[in-house]
Amino acid sequence: MRILIATAQVPFIRGGAEAHAEGLRDALRAEGHEAEIIWIPFKWYPPDKILDHMLACRLLDVTEAAGLRVDLLIGLKFPAYLIPHPNKVLWILHQYRTAYELWDHALSDLIHWPNGAEIRDAIRQADRQILPEAKSIFANSGNVARRLKDFCGIEAVPLYHPPPHASTFYCAAEAREYLFFPSRLNRLKRQSLVLEALARTRAAVRVSFAGAPAEPDYAEELQALARKLKVHERVEWLGEVTEEEKRRLYAHALGVIYTPLDEDYGYVTLEAMLSSKALITCADSGGPLEFVRDEETGLVSEPTLEALAAAMDKLWAHPRQAKAWGERGKALYERLDITWPHVVRRLLS
Amino acid sequence: MKLNWFSPLPPASTDIAHYTTRVLAALRRHAEVTLWTDQDKWDSRLNEHAEVRRYKLRRMRWAELNRGDMSIYHIGNNPLFHGSIWQVSQRHPGLVVLHDQRLHHFFAGLYRDRWRDTAAYLAQMEFYYGEAGRSDAALWASNQGLKIDEMAERYPLTLLALENALGVLVHTEEAFHQLTGVSQRPMAYAPLPFAAALDRKPGQPPARDKPGGQPYRLIVFGYISNNRRLDALLKALADLPERDGFRLDVYGQISDEREVRALVHGLGLKNLVRLHGFVPETELDAALGAAHLAINLRYPTMGEASGSQLRIWSHALPSLVTEVGWYATLPANTVARVRPAHEIEDIQAHLRAFLSEPTRFLRMGEEGYRLLEEQHAPEIYARSLMNLVARAEQYRNYSASERLAHKAIREVSAWTGGAKARETLQVLARKNSLIYGKTKEERHLPWLRDSALFKRAMRSATLQRFVRALGDY
Repeated sequence: MRILIATAQVPFIRGGAEAHAEGLRDALRAEGHEAEIIWIPFKWYPPDKILDHMLACRLLDVTEAAGLRVDLLIGLKFPAYLIPHPNKVLWILHQYRTAYELWDHALSDLIHWPNGAEIRDAIRQADRQILPEAKSIFANSGNVARRLKDFCGIEAVPLYHPPPHASTFYCAAEAREYLFFPSRLNRLKRQSLVLEALARTRAAVRVSFAGAPAEPDYAEELQALARKLKVHERVEWLGEVTEEEKRRLYAHALGVIYTPLDEDYGYVTLEAMLSSKALITCADSGGPLEFVRDEETGLVSEPTLEALAAAMDKLWAHPRQAKAWGERGKALYERLDITWPHVVRRLLS
Repeated sequence: MKLNWFSPLPPASTDIAHYTTRVLAALRRHAEVTLWTDQDKWDSRLNEHAEVRRYKLRRMRWAELNRGDMSIYHIGNNPLFHGSIWQVSQRHPGLVVLHDQRLHHFFAGLYRDRWRDTAAYLAQMEFYYGEAGRSDAALWASNQGLKIDEMAERYPLTLLALENALGVLVHTEEAFHQLTGVSQRPMAYAPLPFAAALDRKPGQPPARDKPGGQPYRLIVFGYISNNRRLDALLKALADLPERDGFRLDVYGQISDEREVRALVHGLGLKNLVRLHGFVPETELDAALGAAHLAINLRYPTMGEASGSQLRIWSHALPSLVTEVGWYATLPANTVARVRPAHEIEDIQAHLRAFLSEPTRFLRMGEEGYRLLEEQHAPEIYARSLMNLVARAEQYRNYSASERLAHKAIREVSAWTGGAKARETLQVLARKNSLIYGKTKEERHLPWLRDSALFKRAMRSATLQRFVRALGDY
């Protein structure tokens, strides 16, 4: 089949969504299909621009390419998933979140614009009208499927996929004394929450953060916070690391900590499981909760400083327990059949 | 349901401020209301019904407004009271309550007098009324040509107040029918609210003594500008042989007091007429309670319903009104009418009739009170408003698409050359809305489809695809 994958990208910013699209493309090609990605450049401010992008997507014609039929369109991200096609399948990474669950959140920008509510309603209406055009709708995770149901009344099937280079993760024989937090430095990932909890731990817990800042100056802001809280000597800022370095950091960590706010899916959880590492996450972290079993494969903490500090102390004080939870996480991953062939079968079924 | 309410608040010297007080008690049974004001002071009793928040145009807290379900903007003809409100409405779409049907006074006052920006005023006039509108406006702005009342009659500029509206509430049937023809926004008509006294049983007007001995007390009140016809009333009184049977009390600010005083003096009415100026509400109510006949003339009218008239009825007070606009629609048994072309003659006839049949006028006041109870109860008004709010909420996403349509047509026009962008926008402005029907076919901008301009523009394949894409929303 000739298959197009439609997704949106903010130029010069790369994250899990881009890896996701490329992973799908590679998996489709591995199954013998012709596959390409359509990257729609996305700019969300001022909010009227969002509607411009939506309309631009609706005006695209991807039913054919150079006279040859495009057999299937797989839509991943807003607003690219609005592109019309007679044979469209959606595998939704997430909707435009500040029009939905993040509308009235401290991190929301849309609500601060005078016409924010108008744009929000237009996005919601477009989603409700256009998403059902698809032959079938999958969601990146159970969390994303739930939001689709809650906000738009649209049923979607959760479909998990493996993180990039899943087979290359490993676990070192001896763990070193640090918790690993790999993710872009981003307010939604809440590295600041970890820093503040770190200031409340009883033990001298150490955390290594890896990832580039998603917005200018945010790295400096976090570093200043660490100094202010006097935890800077227990924190390591690694910046952007190579894939190989990242796998090494996973392999040697005592455990992994990942505390995003209502994450859609989150490769970090899966990478921790693949590395046989126990994971600390929060009860409001969304996607990770679909995989982390509290006191079985990691710890689920309330998103308060005291509770998170207690969870870090607990893992820190019980390295053998942490190792056992990590091994159970790896076993769980294998039982879930999170593989690209499984994904391709479901999307084309 | 949370509502943001933008209105003048007491003690602002406008009846719209009192209107807010009247409707608030009923409205709070349906919604949580936040009153937004740029006034330094307001009547603290408002806090019993709603939170009062101050705003500054340059530092608007949009998130707080967005947390509400609907913002409601009260627009009338006084730029002092409504200028900031209109400016907020231009940026944050909401429901507009029109307190005047013709708003030329408002926009001319805002652009020319307050902002000293005649160029912007002329641009708006050209946008809405073409070259003729601009030309007349330029003459008026240089104190030549038409008078302001004539400008308002010919160029009401009402649509300028509705540019960003999600819904429109009007207080007269005439306004409802006129605007329904030119705007597709959700629209409703609700009679202006006025609560009958709380301590009175339904259907029981305040007891008024049968008019006893002369002299009878006539009353005029409110903001007294030229269209209140005080000069005509004074002349009618002066020429009436039975004039000593009346006393006239005038309450409220007079736009040209010196001229009125000179007229009173010149007509020899000094002993019959008293100008009280602006007085506290309680004093005015006492005066209305003691009066025998109210004179509530308007000519020309800006198409408004009159809060003053409702106040007159709440005292079961008979009244004379001009036979024009909303006043002309009032039941004949509730008011006595004065024809604009026969003002003095009609006023005198009614005053003579009052002298000979005072009980007939007493019944007129009671009928007015009953009408007030039946049609103007704040609870009825609050329900109508809430119904409209629900419809306006549905319209919000269409409104965003409308702006998108403007932008897309302008863009396409720029490269096709077949349809001039400005001309296209003028068509859009005149029609003022996209029409979205229930079915996909109906959603394809039928008003545009029927226009010659659109037919020309639709030769562009790009525009055809654009319209189809927009219809998908």
